[in-house]
Amino acid sequence: MITKEKVNAFIEKIPPSPKILKATIILLDQGDLIKAAKIAKEDLALSAYLKNLVNRPIYGFRNEVSDVSQIFGILGVSKSQQAVYNYMISLLSPVKWKLFSLNKATFYELQAQLSAKWQKIVAHLGIKDKDIQSAISLLPASIIVSEALFCEKIEDVRLLRSVNEIDLNTILQRLCKMDLFDICDNIAQKWEMSESISQIINAASGLKPSSDETINMLGKWMHLLLFYTLSQEIFIHAQLNDFIDFQVDYVSDIYEDFLSLMEIS
Amino acid sequence: MRAVIRDGIGVFHPQGFLDGTSGAALLSIEDIDVTIKSNAEMILVSLKKVIFFNRNGLDTFVKMFRKVRIANHIVVGFCDYDTKKYDAIMKFYDSDLSFSLFKTQQIATLFCATFKEKNKNVLLYSEDKSQRAALAIELHDNGHNPIVAQTEAEFLEKSKVEDAYDFVIESTYLGQMGQKVAARVTGNAIIYTVSSFLDAEITNTFNIAYHNNSLNVGFRLFIFDAYKVVSMNIHALNFFSKLSSSSAEYNATICFVGLSFEKTPAAFKETLEDAGILFFAQMDDILQNKKLLDELGASSAANVKNKRVLNKVLVSELPNFIDATVATIEMMTNSKAVKDAAKVDRIKIDNKEDKIASSIGFYGDIDGMVMLIFPVEIAKKACELLIGESTEDKELILDTLAELVNIVGGKVKTLLADEHISVDITLPRTYHDVDGLLEVADNKKGVQVDLSFNNDRFLFFLTR
Repeated sequence: MITKEKVNAFIEKIPPSPKILKATIILLDQGDLIKAAKIAKEDLALSAYLKNLVNRPIYGFRNEVSDVSQIFGILGVSKSQQAVYNYMISLLSPVKWKLFSLNKATFYELQAQLSAKWQKIVAHLGIKDKDIQSAISLLPASIIVSEALFCEKIEDVRLLRSVNEIDLNTILQRLCKMDLFDICDNIAQKWEMSESISQIINAASGLKPSSDETINMLGKWMHLLLFYTLSQEIFIHAQLNDFIDFQVDYVSDIYEDFLSLMEIS
Repeated sequence: MRAVIRDGIGVFHPQGFLDGTSGAALLSIEDIDVTIKSNAEMILVSLKKVIFFNRNGLDTFVKMFRKVRIANHIVVGFCDYDTKKYDAIMKFYDSDLSFSLFKTQQIATLFCATFKEKNKNVLLYSEDKSQRAALAIELHDNGHNPIVAQTEAEFLEKSKVEDAYDFVIESTYLGQMGQKVAARVTGNAIIYTVSSFLDAEITNTFNIAYHNNSLNVGFRLFIFDAYKVVSMNIHALNFFSKLSSSSAEYNATICFVGLSFEKTPAAFKETLEDAGILFFAQMDDILQNKKLLDELGASSAANVKNKRVLNKVLVSELPNFIDATVATIEMMTNSKAVKDAAKVDRIKIDNKEDKIASSIGFYGDIDGMVMLIFPVEIAKKACELLIGESTEDKELILDTLAELVNIVGGKVKTLLADEHISVDITLPRTYHDVDGLLEVADNKKGVQVDLSFNNDRFLFFLTR
C-alpha cells in the first residue's frame, strides 16, 4: 500500500522553499519588519495568504487589514515569522482533499487556530524564542503528508481501520518503519527550518519524548493543543480527530494547567 | 465514527475533548443505524483516549445506547476509565443509569457470553450490595468463578495477593443486561445460550440471520445451552421445531443441553425429538465425545444443500474477486502479487504443508464462496500490520486471518456494489489445515487462481 519508496518519492517531490520566503524569514529573524514586508509584497500569493490569515475572527481585528507592512507591524516579529512558515506549509496542501474533508478555508482555519493558541501557551510559559514560537506551523504538515500518502488508497485505509483500531501514523510506522512525524522532520530539514522546530514536532507525536526537558514539555503542550483543536466540530467532520493516536498519559501532568489556560470548564 | 467490532463486541474510540458539539459531530444518525445493524452482542464506548468530557458530550452516546438497546436487547455502556471518570459519570447520571460501566474492555468481555475463555477467577467489589450480587450472578452465568468481597477492607486485603485472581473488578456497574440469545463457537459447533422462560419472544432474540450464515459457511452442529431455562411454551416449541426442520436441509443437527422438564410438559420433548432435536444432560457429553461429534457433523462441514455448479454470472465477476483479494493481501503484506495460473476445475493443492486456509461466503444477487489458502508465512506477515508484532501463536494468526478475509469480503461487496450487484457476506471461517477446507470444497468445481507474493505461493478458489 504505502512503501518506503513511495515515502521517499514524496519527500523528493517537495520543492525547496522559494527565495522570497527564505529572504523574508531571514529579515524577520533579524527583526527588520519593514524590509521583510517589502520583499514579502513581491510574492502576491503570500500577500493574499497573510491578508486572509490575519483577518480571521480568531485574530479579532475590528477593521480589515490589507497591507503587508501593516500586517507585519500588527503581528510583530515572531507571529509574522510563524505566518510565513504557515504559508510555506500551505504550499504543500493539495488542491482537492480526498482523505480528510478539508478545503483551503478549513485548512487555513486550522493553521490560524493552532498558531493563535500556541502563542497563548508560549506566552504562558514565558518563552521568547522565535523558533519555538514558530514550531506549531509544521504540525499541519503531518496532516498534508497523511493526505498525500493515503489518499490513493482511501478505501483500503478505511477497511483496515474498520477491523482494528489503528491510526494512520501506526499504519505508516508498521509498513515503512517511518512515521508521519519523521516525514515532517524531513520537510523541516529540506526547508532549512531550525532544528528545535523538528525536535518539538517529534516530541509532540507523543511517542518520541525528548531527553531535553524544555523540548519535551513543549511537545506535551503541543500534543494536547493538537487534540483540543481537533476535537472541534469542523475538524471532527473533516475526520481529523483520529488521524493520530492521542497519548493521554503523556500529557497528564500539564492537563490541569492547560484547562485553566484555555478556560475550559 | 464507526465502532470497531471484534469477537462480537463493538467499541467506539473517541479521542480528545468530548463536549456537546464534539459528541454530536462524532456520532451521526448513519453511524447509529450502522451500529444497530451490526449484530454486535455488546456496544461499548472506550473513554481511554478522552481526556475531558462533560454530561452533554456523554449524552450523545447515551442516546445511542438507548436506541441500540431498544432495537437489539444487548449490553451497552462505557469502558476504559479511571476512578475520577467513573465518579464523574456516576454523578452525572446518578439515578438514571440504564447503561453499564466496565473499568476496562477486558472486564467487559467477561460479561459477554461469546467470550472464548471461561473459568476465570474474578475478585469483585462494589459499594452497592445489589450490584455485588448482580455482578456475581452474571459472571457465574458466563462460566466464571466470582469471589465477592463484602467490604472495601476485605477487597483491598484480597486484591493485594498476587496472582490469586485472573481479574479484579471494581468501579464497574451493570446496567440493563442483554437478553439476546448469545452465540459462541467451539471448534466447529455453535453454542447458543438461552435462559429463563422460552416463549414467543425467542423469535426476536434469536439471531436467525447469524444462524443462516453459519449454515452457509458450513457449520453443522448447533447446541442450545439450556441449563438456565425454567420452562418453554408452545410458541417456543414451534420455533425450535421449525428451526430444526430448516436446518435439516443442510444436514445440520440441533441439540439441547441441560434442559429440565420439571415445568415443561414432557410431551414437548417428544415433539422436539420428532423434529430431530437431540437432548443431552451435560455439555461434555457432546464436546468430549469425539465419536459422537463426528456423527453429529461437527467435524464434517460438507455443504450438502448448496452443491451447485459455477455459473456465468459468477465467472464474469471473477476479476472483481481477484482484485479484492490481491489488493488486500498486497496492502497487508506490502508485497507485489504475480498471477501464475488460472483454471476451472476441482481444487488442487500441491503442497499441503505449512498452509492455513479460510473461506467466506456471499449471497444476494449472486452467491458463492471464496476460499483462500495461505502459506503460514504470508498469513504471519499480514497479521503483523493488524497486531503490530510478529507472532507464532496459531490461534492468533487464525483470528487475524479471519479479519483479513473479512476485509476481502468487504472489498468484494464494495466492488460489486459499483456494478449494482448487491451481496451480503457471511462470517469468515478459518481452518487449521488444508484438509478441513477440502471437506467443504467437497469435490466442487470452481475457478482456481494461483498467485505468488514475493515467491510465496497463494491459492484463490471461487466456487458455489
